[in-house]
Amino acid sequence: MLALVPDAFGGRGGIAQYNRDFLTAASTAPGIEQVEILPRHAPDAFTLPPGLRQVAPGEGRIGYILRALSMALSGKIGVIFCGHINLVPLAALAARLSRSKLVVQTHGIEAWGDPGEPYRGALESADLVLCVSRYTRAQVLSWGAINPERVAVVPNTVGSMFTPGDASALRTQWGLTGKRVLLTVARMDARERYKGHERVIASLPSLPGDVVYVVLGEGDDTARIEAFAQDTGVADRVLFKGGVGRDVLIEAYRMADLYVMPSTGEGFGIAFLEAMASGTPALGLAVAGATDALCDGALGIAASEEDFAAALARQLAAGKPDPKALSAAVLARFGSETFTACTRSVLKRLLQG
Amino acid sequence: MCGINGIFAFHPSAAAPSRDEALRTREAMQTRGPDGFGLWSNSGGRCVLAHRRLSFLDLSERAAQPMLSDDGKLAITFAGEIYNFPALRAELEAQGVVFRTTSDTEALLHLYARDGEAMVEKLRGMFTFGIWDEPRQGLFLARDPYGIKPLYIANDGWTLRFASQVRALLAGGAVSRDPEAAGVVGFHLWGSVPEPFTLYRDIRALPAGHTQWIDKAGPRAPQPYIHFASILAEGARAPLAAAQIAPEVRDAVKDSVAAHLLADVEVGVFLSAGVDSGAMLGLMRDAGCSNATAITLSFAEFRGSSEDEAPLAALVAQKYGAKHIVRTVGEAEFRADLPAILAAMDQPSMDGVNTWFVAKAAREAGLKAAISGLGGDELLAGYASFRDMPRWRRHFGALAAVPGLGALARAMMNVALPGFVRANPKALGMLEYAGSWEGAYLLRRGLFLPHELPALMDKDFVAEGMRRLRPLTQLSGMLSPDPHSNNGRICVLESEHYMRNQLLRDADWAGMAHSLEIRTPLVDIALLRRLAPAIAALKPGMGKAALAAAPSIALPAEIVSRAKTGFGVPTRAWMAAAARSNREDLAETKGLTSRRWSRKVLENFVPPVGTSQAGALAR
Repeated sequence: MLALVPDAFGGRGGIAQYNRDFLTAASTAPGIEQVEILPRHAPDAFTLPPGLRQVAPGEGRIGYILRALSMALSGKIGVIFCGHINLVPLAALAARLSRSKLVVQTHGIEAWGDPGEPYRGALESADLVLCVSRYTRAQVLSWGAINPERVAVVPNTVGSMFTPGDASALRTQWGLTGKRVLLTVARMDARERYKGHERVIASLPSLPGDVVYVVLGEGDDTARIEAFAQDTGVADRVLFKGGVGRDVLIEAYRMADLYVMPSTGEGFGIAFLEAMASGTPALGLAVAGATDALCDGALGIAASEEDFAAALARQLAAGKPDPKALSAAVLARFGSETFTACTRSVLKRLLQG
Repeated sequence: MCGINGIFAFHPSAAAPSRDEALRTREAMQTRGPDGFGLWSNSGGRCVLAHRRLSFLDLSERAAQPMLSDDGKLAITFAGEIYNFPALRAELEAQGVVFRTTSDTEALLHLYARDGEAMVEKLRGMFTFGIWDEPRQGLFLARDPYGIKPLYIANDGWTLRFASQVRALLAGGAVSRDPEAAGVVGFHLWGSVPEPFTLYRDIRALPAGHTQWIDKAGPRAPQPYIHFASILAEGARAPLAAAQIAPEVRDAVKDSVAAHLLADVEVGVFLSAGVDSGAMLGLMRDAGCSNATAITLSFAEFRGSSEDEAPLAALVAQKYGAKHIVRTVGEAEFRADLPAILAAMDQPSMDGVNTWFVAKAAREAGLKAAISGLGGDELLAGYASFRDMPRWRRHFGALAAVPGLGALARAMMNVALPGFVRANPKALGMLEYAGSWEGAYLLRRGLFLPHELPALMDKDFVAEGMRRLRPLTQLSGMLSPDPHSNNGRICVLESEHYMRNQLLRDADWAGMAHSLEIRTPLVDIALLRRLAPAIAALKPGMGKAALAAAPSIALPAEIVSRAKTGFGVPTRAWMAAAARSNREDLAETKGLTSRRWSRKVLENFVPPVGTSQAGALAR
C-alpha cells in the first residue's frame, strides 16, 4: 500500500492522527505486506510501528507529484491510500497508472461540499471511500455519483492514554477546587467559529455561580472569544488556558465535570471521545458528525440547538457518572481494537472485490 | 405476499437496532399482511427482522414469520411465493431434510443451509427475503429476477435498514428524506422512478435479480444472479422454426399458469377483453381451475362503445366456465378514492389507477390472489415498440448519428414552429435519439425528454440528476451482451425498464393496498428461458396468436381480432380533470395528460424541506 497523505507520522492535528491510526491498523491487515507513506509534511520527530515505512516529504508540489508517481510505478503497489481529498487527483492518476485499487479518506468539512472537477471525478473513480462519520458519508454521497456500497465509515479511534484517573492536582493548580468545571478543547480559529465557544459562554449567566468554563486551545480567534466573555459579564468564570501538552490535556479531561462543545461543523469530534474515555460525560449538538462521537445520545448527550442550554443545566445537575463504566463503553465502540477490526474488515472486502 | 423489514447494526460503533423503529416500519405495511405479524431479534441484539403476513400456503401459526431454522442458526423474513416449492421440497426431503410446516418459507431456510447464496438460482417465483446467518453474523438479502416484489435498502454507514416499501422505511423515523436528484429527474423522464434510485438519496432498491450480503464490513455490492440479455442472446443462437412457436408457447405458458396456481386459497383472475388475460383464464381451466372467479372492470363512459370490455370478457368467461364479476367504476368513485390512491402509491407513478380499481374489485369479491396477464406484451412482442423502434432506427438512425443535428433542428423549430414543438415534444427527438436502441427507447417510453426538464425544475438540479442517473448508459448496460435480435433487445428494455419500474411496481402497491396478491404467469424466469428461442423468431402478431391458441379451447376469434386496449379505463379524462382546476382544454393529447398527471402525483410526495433542493420538487 502506498499512502499519499498531507501528514501522518511526525505531523500534527486530527488528520495526521487519523492517518497514523489507519495506516498502523492497515499494516496488520491480511493482504497488506507493507505500507509506504509519502507525506507532504512531517515537522516532528517520530517513531514508526513495524510494517510501515515513511519516506521524506517531497520537495515542493512538483517534487511530491514525481515522487508519488515514481513510488506508485515501482511495481510493488496494489493499493493507493489517499489521506485527503486535496490529493485525490494525484492519487487517482497514480492508481490508474499502477493499476492499483484506490482508497480515499474523507474527514470533515473539506468533503461536505462538491469540490468540483478534477476532485469529484477522481473520487468517483475510487474503489473505496472511507469517511470518519455517517454525516460525512452522507455529504459525499450527496455530490458524488458513487455506489453507496463503496462508501464506508471508519470512525476516529481514541488513544489508549485517555483513561479515568485522579486530577485533583490540576484542579488545585488551576484554582478550581470546589468548582464545577465545563471544558472545551478546540482550536480557536476564525475559520472554525462553528465550535460553539460563544454558546457555552452565553449560557453561563443562567448557571449556578460555582460553574467555571475552562477553554483549552489556541488560535487567531482567541481575543474575540475573550472579548465576548468580557461583554457577557462572565470573564471571571472563563479560564483561557491556551495550548497545553499531552499530559496536561489528559489531566484536564479527567478533571472536568462535563465536556461541552456545541459545534455545528464537526467531521466527527475526537475530543468528545477523549473526554468520555477519560470518564467525563460529554455534551454536544445533534448536528453533523458529532452525533457519531456521541453515539446518537447513547454515550454522550446530543442536544438540539434549541435545547442546548437546558441540556447543559440538566447534565450539570445530574453530576458525573461512573467514569470507568463510561470509559469502557467508549472503548467498546471506538477503542483501538474496534478500530483495527473495522479497518481490517473494510480492507479485506476491498481486496476480495 | 406479505411485507418484510429489518434493521442490522453492522458497524461496531452503531447502537443496537430499535425495536420500536422496526415496529413503526412494519406497521406502515399493514395492508400487505393483515393475517399476522412477527418480530424477531438475534441473540446479540444486532439484527431485528419483522414481518406482516398475507398467508397463501400453510395458513397455520406454525408458518408464521420471522421463521427460525430448527437449530436456531438461521432466521428468515420472506415476502412472495415460490412456485416450484413442491419440487424443491421433494428434492430436499429426498436428501433427508425433515419439514415441520407445509410453507415455502421453510424451504428457503433449508435451501440456504444447503446451497448458501447460490440458492436463488433454484427459485421460481416472486420473492424478496432477508436471512440472518448467525454463525456468519451476516444478513443475506435477495430479490426475484424480474423484480416483481420490491425491496428497499437504507444504509447510513453504521446501520442497514430494509423494507418492502419506501414509505415504510421513512415511517421508521431514522431515514433521511433528502431528495435524490437522479430519482426526481428519472421520474420526469419516465413517469416512474427508475431503480435503483428512489425519490430519496438514502433509500435505494435492491436491483431485481440481485442478492446482497451484509456483515461487519458493511453491505457488499449487490450481486446479479440472472441476466436477461444473456438468456435472449442464447435463445437467438438457435431460433425456433415458425411451426414450432405455437406449440412451444402453449406448453411453456400452460406450465407457468399451472405453477402460479399453487395456493391454499382461491386464486382468481383479472379478465379484460384482451388476449393475455383471456388466455390466462383458459389455461387456468386447463390446469383444473374450472370455476375461477374472473373480475372485469366496466365504465359507464364506455357503455355501448368498442372500449367497453365487459361484453367480450363475458363471452370469454362463459366459454371457460368462470364465475364472472363485472365491477362498474365511475368518476365519482375515482375522485373519492384519489386521496387513498395517492397515499398508497409507494413511489410516484403516472399509472396504476386501473390496477387499483381491479384489485379493489377482486378484494370485494373475497379474493386474496388473482392472476394477471401482465407481461404478455413484453414477452411476446405485443407492444408497438417492437414494430416502431426498428423502423425509427432505419429511417432516422443515420441522421441522428450526425453530431449536433438534432439539437440544431430543435432550436430552429422552436423559433419557426413553437406551437408544433409544444404539441409534439417528441417529434424532433427522432433526430437526436433514434441513432441507438437506448435512445429510441427513451423516445418510445419517455414522459419528458432531457432537454425539456430545465423548464420543470432547477437546471442545476436537472444536470446533477442526469449526471447521476445516466439514463442512456443505464439502458445500454441492459443490452450487454447484445441479445442478437430486435425482439430480444426490445424485450429486454421493456421488461427491465418499463415493466419493472412501472407495471410491476404499480401492481405491487395497488394490489397490496387491498391485501391482494397479483400473480403474473407471463412474468416468469422459467418461461423466459424456455421461450427465448421463440422470441428471437417472432414475426408481428405471431406471439399473441400463439398465446390465444394456447388453451385447449382457443380464445374466441373476436378477442384475437379486437384492437388491443388492455385494461383501458376512462382515467385519462378523470386524471386530466383532477390535475387541473378547470376542464376547458380537455382535448389535449394522451401524452400531455400524462405529463400533467405526473406533476399532480409528485406534489403528493412531501417535498423534502430544509434542503438546497427543496424548490426543485415543488416548482
